[in-house]
Amino acid sequence: MSASVALAAAGCDGPEEHGHPLHARARGTEQEAASYASVLDLEGLGRGVLVRTRGGHAVKIEGNPQHPASLGATDIFAEAAVLSLHDPERSQRIRHDGAPQMPRQLNAALAAARDALPPDGAGLRLLTGPLASPTLARLIGEVLNLYPGARWHRCDPLADDAALDGSLAAFGRPVAVLPDLARARAVLCLGADPLGPGPAQLRQARDWSVARRNGRAAGALPHLFVAEASPSLTGARADRRIPLHPAEAESFARAVAATLGVPGLASSGSHAAAAGVAEALRSAGQAGLVLAGRGQSPAVHALAHAMNHTLGAAGTALRLTAPPMARPERMTASLAALVADMVAGQVTHLLILGSNPVQEAPAALGFADALRRVGVTLHAGLWFDETAQRCHWHVPLRHPLEAWGDSRAFDGTPAIRQPVTRPLVEVAYEEASLLSALLGTPLTARAAVTATWRDVWGEESFESRWAEALETGTAGGPAPAIAPPLDPGWDRPGRPPSTGLTAIFAPDPGLREDAQNAWLQEMPRPMTGIAWGNAALFDPQTAERLALSPGDEVELILDGRRVLAACWPTPGQAPGCVTLPLGGGRAAAGAVGSERGFDANLLRPADGAWLAGGLEVRPTGRRAALVATAPPHRPDGSGAVPRLRAGEELPPITPQASLHPSWPQPGRAWAMVIDVDACIGCNACAVACQAENNVPVVGPAELARGRGMHWLRIDRHDHPQAPAASFQPVPCMHCEKAPCEPVCPVNATVHDNEGLNVMVHARCIGTRTCSNNCPYKVRRFNWNDHRPSLDTARRNVEVPLRPRGVMEKCTYCSHRISAARSAAAVEGRALRDGEIETACQRACPTQAITFGDLNADDSAVAAQRRDGRSYALLEHLGTRPRTTYLAPVVPGDTT
Amino acid sequence: MPQIFSSRADRLLRMAMLAALAATLLASVVAFAHARFGGVWALGQPASQPIPFSHAVHAGGLGLDCRFCHAAVETGPQAGMPTAETCLACHTRVWNVTAQFAPLATALAQDTPVTWASTHRLPEHVRFHHGAHVQAGVTCQTCHGQVWEMPRTVKAEPLSMGWCIDCHRDPAPRQGPVEHVFTRDASSGPPPEPRFGLAAHPVLHQGVSVSALTNCSTCHR
Repeated sequence: MSASVALAAAGCDGPEEHGHPLHARARGTEQEAASYASVLDLEGLGRGVLVRTRGGHAVKIEGNPQHPASLGATDIFAEAAVLSLHDPERSQRIRHDGAPQMPRQLNAALAAARDALPPDGAGLRLLTGPLASPTLARLIGEVLNLYPGARWHRCDPLADDAALDGSLAAFGRPVAVLPDLARARAVLCLGADPLGPGPAQLRQARDWSVARRNGRAAGALPHLFVAEASPSLTGARADRRIPLHPAEAESFARAVAATLGVPGLASSGSHAAAAGVAEALRSAGQAGLVLAGRGQSPAVHALAHAMNHTLGAAGTALRLTAPPMARPERMTASLAALVADMVAGQVTHLLILGSNPVQEAPAALGFADALRRVGVTLHAGLWFDETAQRCHWHVPLRHPLEAWGDSRAFDGTPAIRQPVTRPLVEVAYEEASLLSALLGTPLTARAAVTATWRDVWGEESFESRWAEALETGTAGGPAPAIAPPLDPGWDRPGRPPSTGLTAIFAPDPGLREDAQNAWLQEMPRPMTGIAWGNAALFDPQTAERLALSPGDEVELILDGRRVLAACWPTPGQAPGCVTLPLGGGRAAAGAVGSERGFDANLLRPADGAWLAGGLEVRPTGRRAALVATAPPHRPDGSGAVPRLRAGEELPPITPQASLHPSWPQPGRAWAMVIDVDACIGCNACAVACQAENNVPVVGPAELARGRGMHWLRIDRHDHPQAPAASFQPVPCMHCEKAPCEPVCPVNATVHDNEGLNVMVHARCIGTRTCSNNCPYKVRRFNWNDHRPSLDTARRNVEVPLRPRGVMEKCTYCSHRISAARSAAAVEGRALRDGEIETACQRACPTQAITFGDLNADDSAVAAQRRDGRSYALLEHLGTRPRTTYLAPVVPGDTT
Repeated sequence: MPQIFSSRADRLLRMAMLAALAATLLASVVAFAHARFGGVWALGQPASQPIPFSHAVHAGGLGLDCRFCHAAVETGPQAGMPTAETCLACHTRVWNVTAQFAPLATALAQDTPVTWASTHRLPEHVRFHHGAHVQAGVTCQTCHGQVWEMPRTVKAEPLSMGWCIDCHRDPAPRQGPVEHVFTRDASSGPPPEPRFGLAAHPVLHQGVSVSALTNCSTCHR
């Protein structure tokens, strides 16, 4: 006991810190923290990032303001990349049939394999994921030149081949549609989800929010119509959302096109909502835009092209360019051709680079079985995954944050990827060096990338442009616009729509290939609130007919293929559709990613179709293990989110009477304003907060008990009228009359003079009274000691790790405030408005979060407080929160 | 019915309670004294270093400025440690005892860091900004003692929370002009005017002027 008293008296610290290592660099200048521009790919297309490193370790990803696909923002996948980089379950060894091997054994095997190839390379196949990298494309081209008999195939389960077919029908060539949502005045999305996750999300969401901001100022908001089967982020924010069964999509598009007077229509369609939508598009004229998305038929894509052509949108609301992907082709056909060759025994050597076809290809295609017929298979990847386990050789790849490379953004802007950390896996290879080894001239990836750009830029200007590209994060401009003429015979009506219950395959909104990432697994999906798994999304009527309640287990049967899944009735789902998210149910994704939800690839037809009719559903009568942080339908009964019509204003926030004494607030008063009208619910802020503040992952069991630790949660409120949902991010409110403070028995939560509600972890004894008394429920309790899993090279050393048994919560990133204040004091100047950016604010693609000094009249946050849309959450409780909101504006005249 | 407990048992219980109380009190006094004993804070205890470096020789004998090696002390949160290059720039010419400098040569050859042992490390939940303190006119020896007299670097002050907050409550006596921060004589002259840092905004709390420097959030994260 005396020891514990002594420790208490000594404040639990002191001697154990003595003699801790203090590292001094060997050379150069002392630079503890640094930031590097790089690029990370999503679905093969790059988003520019700045990687913050500390002591040589990558600790945080932020957006690169100079990159057109980021504009300073990040999405959840970019934020989470730093966790994948440090994943201890990453593949560490070269393996042959599962047994660890030395690099020289691999080299010998590769040399033998190369010798065994016929001179023209017949039998050699390369399989990659989707890629836009100029260097990899160049190297693959050289391999194909050296071995004319070799072939390059791609596995891209999320590719939209119908878009390619649609542009071939409309223009006779592959075309990428780059919408400019900042200039569009009326947008119709036919299954397209421009605000949803994807390589262009950050740019499109920013453009959309800019258009809304300008529209509010001008008193004329742009129109957004979404016709889709399954609720998406875009649909949630649409002025008018039309739940549309995929079978009706073409008819609806034809009806709109006919009303717009599109020439060359082969047939007309009909839909009740078409006339109103067409009228809005027509009055927008050149600023009208039609976007077709995944799951639509080639005919719908062609119709969208034709409508844009009729509206004259090219040059205003959209830009057409050549596709940024290297050698666009039908991805499903590419993979099917490979499997056919493998089955026919024509493939002797298969090199799989950074792709996981065994998992990602539809199981019906039979890739795994065909793989057994190949003589030599080599898989290079970050993880020893499903494909790696079935290949003869496996080689660990470097993470994109460890390797040189290059990439293109969705608009064609090239960028150089530079390593920001030493390779954490010693033996890991770079894709470019594996390819160049195949050419017989092994190069480092850096040499391969410089060679590519030396050719592009020319010898004399190379050095300066290379340095500039590394500094700015872009290596050139976007692809030039093209104006292909519309093919007169563009309209080729699609096959008749499938009948019965339709299965819609869709990318999981929170997962891509890295199911191993615990941040992504634990982040509730925006529209369903499901984490650590997935569920089949039913429309409420079908669920009712089958007597299914949320979380019931069902057996899904499609053409004899069966899978067990959880059922989740989703308001807004078009009747007769079941949405099946791809990317779950992994077999070999480590402790984090394996067996989470069900694998929709087991049902997907062999041709990789996004839709399949004739789905059978059999309730099993059991309950599925499903974790959801929100009910399927969460109506805003309490009016937590006030909604305004354009021009309306809320009464100003007035301080309520309080029993607590008032205290003067000279100096600075930190405050945050969150614009609910701009929030698209993308979760980027929540993941950024998790990365910045060393927020632990608790796992599905604890999450299901309501013990999630996210400091920033995003509440979805459903509304009966459009927009269908509002997303309200809820961090700590930093109340001026904070209810948490007076109830703490040990004074562990107190105010500082700048208005921050501070949590003193060292004082907290874990009574949890503060959390009980918090009306916003933003305090999180450490039920377990999460420090062992957090104390890695990735952690942000600016933020301490909290022990078991203490409360924690949002600090307004007080370490960033302190750092900026000290930097300003050292430079002998006052803090500038906007100099301090919280992690959530920095990540937000729509700039919905503003942070600053409320006492400075000219600050952005003070100006937003004066806005007529300003409201406080639970204002009547008199807590006087420092975090306030701006109310969303609902459309006035769309019917 | 007979008594269950004898009167002796009663007496024993009372004495045991008294003894427990006395033991608790004694333990508290011992703990209180122990926490204030320098040894707990590792005062005067050198740490094992890779190179037998002497501040007495470099700062005292040669009169090198602190900033020659701790280059970031005026601007950064950390003072910064000298790189192997900095050390060897001189030591390839003078006092070139190869065996002693092997860790530096290794670091330079392999581009790995030199691992010194910290004697002034603060706990994880504390933030400290050297630059801000230099700008406030706090001399190096206020916290680090007379380093130029130390053949082996040791902690001169406890750097405990109580010690820090003593100064934060009333910093003026320990402040001097910024240009005197790196001198070794007792500084004289007025401290710099607090214009931009936390001290620029004194707070009236219940009628009492409180320095913003005593906020929890000033030092704790």
